[in-house]
Amino acid sequence: MVDESLDLELAALLRSPERAPDEAFARRLERLVVAEARLRAARRAAWHRFTMEMVAAAALLLAFALLTRSAPPPDSAGTIPLFGPAAAGLLLLALWIAVSLRPGESAATH
Amino acid sequence: MEGDEALAGRAAAGEVAAFTELVRRHERRVRAFLARLTRGDGADDLAQETFLKAWRVAASFRGEGSYEGWLLRIAWRLFLSSRRGRREEAAEIPERADPAAGDADRRIDVGRALARLPARERAAALLCLGEGYSHSEAARILELPLGTLKSVVARARTALADELKGQG
Repeated sequence: MVDESLDLELAALLRSPERAPDEAFARRLERLVVAEARLRAARRAAWHRFTMEMVAAAALLLAFALLTRSAPPPDSAGTIPLFGPAAAGLLLLALWIAVSLRPGESAATH
Repeated sequence: MEGDEALAGRAAAGEVAAFTELVRRHERRVRAFLARLTRGDGADDLAQETFLKAWRVAASFRGEGSYEGWLLRIAWRLFLSSRRGRREEAAEIPERADPAAGDADRRIDVGRALARLPARERAAALLCLGEGYSHSEAARILELPLGTLKSVVARARTALADELKGQG
């Protein structure tokens, strides 16, 4: 049979003592949480930038590959036809420039 | 005053102020629980990790049981992880108190008896016998079947009661 007075005594001895909230601890947690949120946002932005630059680099490589594979047309007399691999390559080059040089940014910041 | 569940919802949405208020409300019990579990070794670091983890997984609190119980479950899991691969070192056990000396010394004796208990019994005693958690909520916190939890609490109570009775 449970000894009630013993249980009450155990409860009094084991219960955590009452005290006011530890403001220093709460503030420390707040700083850590804010820092973590900032780190997460910076990491997300870095991944986004990396992905876009990888896409741009792939587009540039593809452009060069297409340009090197295009043979000069037989009767072009020195002119480049409007539609062809070379034009596709130049289009991809333009795409890379557009992605890399977003409005408000300069190439120097990359 | 806003309830824990409402604050937890706001914290899950990223409101730092709501989370800080939850920290203020519950840091006392979480830190006391960990201090008794770890016997003081690294308790505050674990408490800090507990709250950081709670912030990261804030959306996973679904209102089953109390928010404090959810925090204590995180704390218990972190405590177990911190012990993995480390042998639990014997606690420094203070001198046996003078039976005639009074409440402070009975607290030391119960603390001494608590320190000798295995971690699971220590945790169960603190939750059920100390903080008044129901068996079902304590079982949820410690991730034990209800029947097992009741046996663990009973063993802890017997050990602690023997210590107190030994003091007359």
